[in-house]
Amino acid sequence: MGCGVTKSNQFNKHSRKAIRAAVLIQRWYRQYVARTEMRRRYTWHIFQSIEYSGEQAQIKLYNFLGYLMDNFTPSSNERNLISHIFRENEVCQDAEWERYFCYKNIEVPEIYSGPHLTFPLTVEQAVGLVEAFRNKKQLHSRYVLQLLLETWRQLRMLPNISRISTCQSKEITICGDLHGQLEDLLLIFYKNGMPSLEKPYVFNGDFVDRGKDSIEILIILFSFLLVYPSEVHLNRGNHEDHIVNLRYGFTKEVLTKYKMHGKRILKLLQKIFSWLPLATVIDQKVLVLHGGISDITDLSILARLDRHNYVSALRPPKKRHQSSAGASIDSDFDEDVLSTNKLLQRRISLTYPKPLGTRESFQNRSLQDFSNRIKGKAVDEIEIHKRKLAILNMGTNSSEGMTQSVSSESINSDNAKDEWKQILDLLWSDPMIQDGCTPNEVRGGGCYWGPDVTEDFLNRHNLQLIIRSHECKQDGYEFCHNRKVLTLFSASNYYDVGSNRGAYVKLGPDLVPYLVQYQASSMTRELTVKQSVGRTERSALKVLREQLFAHKSDLICAFKKFDSENTGLVSLNNWASAVESVMYLGVPWRMLRGQLVTSKSTDGMIDYLEWFNELAIKGPNTDHIDQSLLETLYRHRSTVETIFRIVDTDNSGFITIEDFRQTWKLLSVYLKMEITDEAISDLAVTIDSNQDGSIDIDEFMEAFRLTDKKSRLERGRSMFMGTVNDLTKLEGDPNI
Amino acid sequence: MAPKKKEEPKPAAAPPKPPEPERPKTPEFDPTTITLEFTPEQIEDFKDAFQLFDRTPANEMKITYAQCGDLIRALGQNPTQAEIMHVLGKPKAEDMQTKMLDFDQFLPIHQHICKAKDCGTFEDFVEGLRVFDKEGNGTVMGAELRHVLATLGEKLREDEVEQLMQNQEDANGCINYEAFVKHIMAS
Repeated sequence: MGCGVTKSNQFNKHSRKAIRAAVLIQRWYRQYVARTEMRRRYTWHIFQSIEYSGEQAQIKLYNFLGYLMDNFTPSSNERNLISHIFRENEVCQDAEWERYFCYKNIEVPEIYSGPHLTFPLTVEQAVGLVEAFRNKKQLHSRYVLQLLLETWRQLRMLPNISRISTCQSKEITICGDLHGQLEDLLLIFYKNGMPSLEKPYVFNGDFVDRGKDSIEILIILFSFLLVYPSEVHLNRGNHEDHIVNLRYGFTKEVLTKYKMHGKRILKLLQKIFSWLPLATVIDQKVLVLHGGISDITDLSILARLDRHNYVSALRPPKKRHQSSAGASIDSDFDEDVLSTNKLLQRRISLTYPKPLGTRESFQNRSLQDFSNRIKGKAVDEIEIHKRKLAILNMGTNSSEGMTQSVSSESINSDNAKDEWKQILDLLWSDPMIQDGCTPNEVRGGGCYWGPDVTEDFLNRHNLQLIIRSHECKQDGYEFCHNRKVLTLFSASNYYDVGSNRGAYVKLGPDLVPYLVQYQASSMTRELTVKQSVGRTERSALKVLREQLFAHKSDLICAFKKFDSENTGLVSLNNWASAVESVMYLGVPWRMLRGQLVTSKSTDGMIDYLEWFNELAIKGPNTDHIDQSLLETLYRHRSTVETIFRIVDTDNSGFITIEDFRQTWKLLSVYLKMEITDEAISDLAVTIDSNQDGSIDIDEFMEAFRLTDKKSRLERGRSMFMGTVNDLTKLEGDPNI
Repeated sequence: MAPKKKEEPKPAAAPPKPPEPERPKTPEFDPTTITLEFTPEQIEDFKDAFQLFDRTPANEMKITYAQCGDLIRALGQNPTQAEIMHVLGKPKAEDMQTKMLDFDQFLPIHQHICKAKDCGTFEDFVEGLRVFDKEGNGTVMGAELRHVLATLGEKLREDEVEQLMQNQEDANGCINYEAFVKHIMAS
């Protein structure tokens, strides 16, 4: 002990004081740590709830579009708007594709200062690319296409499941989600070295979306794949999917960086994504895949299916039997919309299973609800179309509509469904703590699987460890299921600066995982813990405030239920219940109340109308636009943007006024809101200021403050702001 | 002299601490003797926080003993480690991660801590730190403070001290302690 060195009473009194002081400081410090931890936890909770909710919303949107596809006649406008995204497995020769993707005519101008590539690629060129991107150069589209073509050729030779070995003393490095964050990849290469004959790598999916350098990451990974085909292994992630990319930023990134050839690049990437291997097995003992497993996961099925048929995991390959589809419509000819549900359930139930009530914080709607939603005029339209379709189908081999993706192979439809589920589970599942296997309703696809399922799976396949990614973890990694499952996440600062570390794992012949953590961004190193928690917390709260504002009408309704005398005040308790009943985020509202409601109120009551004034997001001059329409727009901005991008078939960033109108008709059905033609014209006029008959999508989104350029969070991540609840709450009873 | 030297520091180091006026020398903490005086609103607040710390698979509304102290602090109280151990019934080290507490068991514990008189005013702090102010100029040596925090009282770990003192020292390694106390108390 430091005290008691001298012999004076005076000092002893001092030392007692010193100890007292020390204890005081220590207890205050411990309190500060506890409170910081608390803030960190709910901040995380907020981000994760909103993120997963956004993913669920995405899947619902896609299911809805699929539903429309199935129920509108081929010639309908709505269908034409969106049919091309479902035009997947076009029967087309590879030679034709090679011509389409031909890069030879693309000239590289003299002033181009980026890297020039020659093929076959050398390691110097691959390293050169890393350097170039570090220096913020962009690779010319000619070389991009050339590189992608080579990659496509290479990937087609690979099996679904790569089998590799640590042989002798090689250590294999495995990386998780990168999500377009180039800084993290550069940091990994800096700490661990670039891929080489002595340094094999496995990259476990989700290379793109959300971050701003997705295409650069792909270019680097593909280059090393070409240079070291036996040492570099890529697994597909759920974001290697063109439908998901529409919403989460990759499509936009490519079109922005490659204005002339972006569309072709995206098309080629669609193919490449479908050809990415599904999993990697190391030393026959360690399985590496992106999402996870379910109770029916079978590696032998996964090994032998045709993975390239699954261009998007969200939709099965179109191998429907015309007769069965026709027959069911026939037989249900006189019944109401419920019949369609049976048909849909058979085909689409895998992406949107029935609610089992595992997580109460997320209310679930099955696809059936869409038909209920489309009441009124739209339903009649559908009925009419359905009957027309049924008549068309009766006895005839209707080639319209069902066409584009009918494969010439005759595959048993049940088999296809099994395979599809295998892939969906592999890409979308998450582990849970309880035993069992339940549908992953939070994400909308895949399962939650328990430790018993892991145990059984490992035994059946004679494996000892599963390494997966898909979920952000604060320390960059996390073990679960008795250390038999390792989650690995390599995108640091994912939610915001300072939110989490990234990690990669090294496996030697002993197969004992050795983890390395890191955190990119020089900013974080200088921030104290308190400051970085504070920053992330402020971001989360900002996001939350926006969400609350976007639900203003519903919230006011909910508050009024507690305020029968119309005083404009509600108690804190009621405030919290009302907010949760509208938002469904499972966030601790009471704890956050102090930060969300800043106006003081008397004796614990909250003035809710005043509160909305606080939250109000000021926009540009939009007074001529109907307020509730604006609010709806704001709330569903991710969906709005996604649909615009789908409608923009040539990926030009512009859509015609006519398509703009049609899109709003589509949205009005989906969002169950009335939009008059007049209102649509008002919207169009605000944007199409040069009256040339086309709308710039980005301008539209910005004009209505649907994107906020200032926040870092939004810049890369604007896409995950829309929540599923915005879409599902349009019904009444959740328990259908 | 020598015996005196040994006696003085000892009482401060042993579990019920004499500096704390409210600390009776009762051997056991009996939750049944506590009457809850929280309002229903407060209890709802506590529930929210409790749930945030609940890591059980099925959301059973239970936390470990080890989390109890953190939760109480997160709710704004300021107990010493000793006080926490006392209300938990002086559990063994290995029990801290395994024994669980449900919400009803938590409430009397929290009530007891809330009732303890808070002896940590700004002035107390500053006065305590003044002990280390050799030159009487309002600053203490960062190094000395670190040493004290890591070796006296309810010792902090090296990394905890580091985190607390991050960015507090000036170029000469000195800390203006009034500012320091304001910093700690303003979390």
